[in-house]
Amino acid sequence: MSKVRRYEVTAAGDFASVLVVLTDHLGLRLLNLDEGQRSWLDTPTGTLEQAKTTLEFRLPSGEGTPSLTWAAEGRVLVYDPCVSSTPPVQSSDLPDSAAFARLTALVDGGQLVAGPTVNSQIAVLACLDDEEKTTARIIFDRSETLDGVTLPMMLEVLPLRGYEDEASELEKKLKRSVALSASATPIRELAKQGASAGRAAGIENDGTALVSTMSAARSWRAVLQTLNDSMVQSFSGVLSGNDPEDLHAFRVAVRRIRTILQDGDDVIDPESRDRFRHEYRWLGDVTTPTRDADVHLIEFPELVAMLPPERREELVSFNAVLLRHRADCHAAMAVELRSMRRAEFGTAWLSFLADDDAWTGCGDLADEPVLRIVLRRIEKANRQLVKNGRKISKKSPAIALHELRKEGKRLRYLLECFAPLFDEKALATILRPLRDVQDVLGEFQDTEVQANALLELAGELASADDHSAPMALSGVIEQLGVRGADARASFAKTFGSFDDRKVQRAFDQLEPRKKKR
Amino acid sequence: MKVLATYNIKGGVGKTATAVNLAHVAAAHGNRVLVWDLDPQGAATFYFRVKPKVKGGGKAIVRGSLELGDAIKATDFDNLDLVPADFSYRHLDLWLDDAKKPLVRIRSALRQVSEEYDYVFLDCPPSISLTSESVFRAADALLVPTIPTTLSLRTYEQLDRFVEENPDMVRELKILGFFSMVDRHKRLHRRFMNDLRTAHPELLEATIPNSTDIERMGVHREPVGAYGKGSKPARAYEALWSEIQTRL
Repeated sequence: MSKVRRYEVTAAGDFASVLVVLTDHLGLRLLNLDEGQRSWLDTPTGTLEQAKTTLEFRLPSGEGTPSLTWAAEGRVLVYDPCVSSTPPVQSSDLPDSAAFARLTALVDGGQLVAGPTVNSQIAVLACLDDEEKTTARIIFDRSETLDGVTLPMMLEVLPLRGYEDEASELEKKLKRSVALSASATPIRELAKQGASAGRAAGIENDGTALVSTMSAARSWRAVLQTLNDSMVQSFSGVLSGNDPEDLHAFRVAVRRIRTILQDGDDVIDPESRDRFRHEYRWLGDVTTPTRDADVHLIEFPELVAMLPPERREELVSFNAVLLRHRADCHAAMAVELRSMRRAEFGTAWLSFLADDDAWTGCGDLADEPVLRIVLRRIEKANRQLVKNGRKISKKSPAIALHELRKEGKRLRYLLECFAPLFDEKALATILRPLRDVQDVLGEFQDTEVQANALLELAGELASADDHSAPMALSGVIEQLGVRGADARASFAKTFGSFDDRKVQRAFDQLEPRKKKR
Repeated sequence: MKVLATYNIKGGVGKTATAVNLAHVAAAHGNRVLVWDLDPQGAATFYFRVKPKVKGGGKAIVRGSLELGDAIKATDFDNLDLVPADFSYRHLDLWLDDAKKPLVRIRSALRQVSEEYDYVFLDCPPSISLTSESVFRAADALLVPTIPTTLSLRTYEQLDRFVEENPDMVRELKILGFFSMVDRHKRLHRRFMNDLRTAHPELLEATIPNSTDIERMGVHREPVGAYGKGSKPARAYEALWSEIQTRL
């Protein structure tokens, strides 16, 4: 019997663009394109799964009727294209036809419970031979759970019996045209994992507000859940790439998660902490080139405006270079974000957040009151920032300022993520100058990164006959240099405002004072 | 697994259309169905767009050197598979004649897939020969499309007589005759149908009309129900299938 071959689509691009490759480039015939909700049903004891079959209830979002499909390894055993709009809950609700008699017998009068449910876009395509006979069916699927967890795009190749050789040929062509990685997990299983993890994370997150007497482990978990939510919210926007703000928000959430993990020693299970720090670092890294490209595009008009009016026109062609570069970066990033590594790590992360056992007795300080622990970590981060900030001079290398920026971020994120625990006035006293320091350091780094990147991209203009554009670009890079130098020059004063006695004293006042009775 | 053979000594009576359309109806009802094209013309193979090429040849299946399962091709319809025929099937009688126990060859081959299918349709070539006798041994029922004309009546009665005279060969075989290619506008068709029903009350009630929709199967290369769902012939095959089930 023919077996289904499953692949995760790791190619850049959204559902529609991959579908175009399948139909227009590979010549597959689109048989059906559907959008709607899908649920997989089974008995409470999993009778259908044990029989290696699936029962899928599909509710289209637009026109069309709900349908019920019983299948085994991709082969449809029974299909009813027009059933009631609510899924059957017991065997007697199954369509009263000879076709469903076998299924009814298998369920044996038992109940049917809805398992994972997803919202999906599904395309069914056929690979045809020269007689226009189907040799394989291809199911291309993009789904997300009702909790909003986006599942990897999946592609299943179902060779028809007697056409295994043709299906193998098709797979070779598919692999050449679309980035695929083999997967053993059916979409139903991915949905189950995604839904349970997403749901568990959501439930925990709803009622957990930070209070100073809460245990450190519980507080760290609540903070990570909140950060996870904002990361998940922006994920689909990051993939679509339409709004650079989505990627920015995503990266901020990722950096904050990294900080909370970094400062979670003796609070978080060390093995999990190490694993997720490593994975989040990777996740941050794969998004950096696209964010840098976004910044080039956002700031470029402003930089061009600083040039004399007669030189501005010369940079029109460079804008196209930036756009192309950004598209390349985004495509490469999307491949990583749709990879099996990201999916597995995402599932493991959600499971970790949802798993009570993972947060019980997980570190020496896990059961300590959160306020004491977090104040200690803030004090340490502040001490380090002040010490290194004072060392910065006009001669300090750029790397020293970059390192200092990271230390500042760590402190700021700790303060902001655990903000509900602190005295509001003391917190505001610290955050205002700290953000100023961050802005100055950020401006310094951004101008330097941008100048280097523009220099590199300028190489693409060098081959053109027109030499006016590279000349104008050097004017832009010069402007960046000026801005960077200004930022650096203002560092001492800005840092001085943070390293002020009043601000530093506010660290001692972060613990809210007890109200007098 | 029930084995149904579409059979008539006479050609051009709608055997292949019956096999293909009933198989399609049966599969659409959720049954697991196999069509075995035994006719060297390969019309059923053509209707399902399958290439008329059998790996190892029909000879290998008959001789037992090729498992029937290895020759099966899925059609474009769920639960409906086909064993295609090629032109070499014109030698089917010779292959059977050369084989040991020729009368049980087809039955033995089908036994290999008996767990996989609920119904098998054998699309037989028109003749009465060793192949036919082998089919009679393998089948549970013969579906005999009969045009309401003198010659068809004659061949139906020839078959009836053959079955009566060879009880050992046909054993439990049921003969399910039905009128095919019926043109109710023709007085002659109506008269023959009445006469034949009086003489043979066992004939099925359902009739298949003479319809261009059925002829268009060759253009569409698929069963009537696939391109003309709800059409008169599609409904006729549905009715025929449901009556056949009550007789099995």
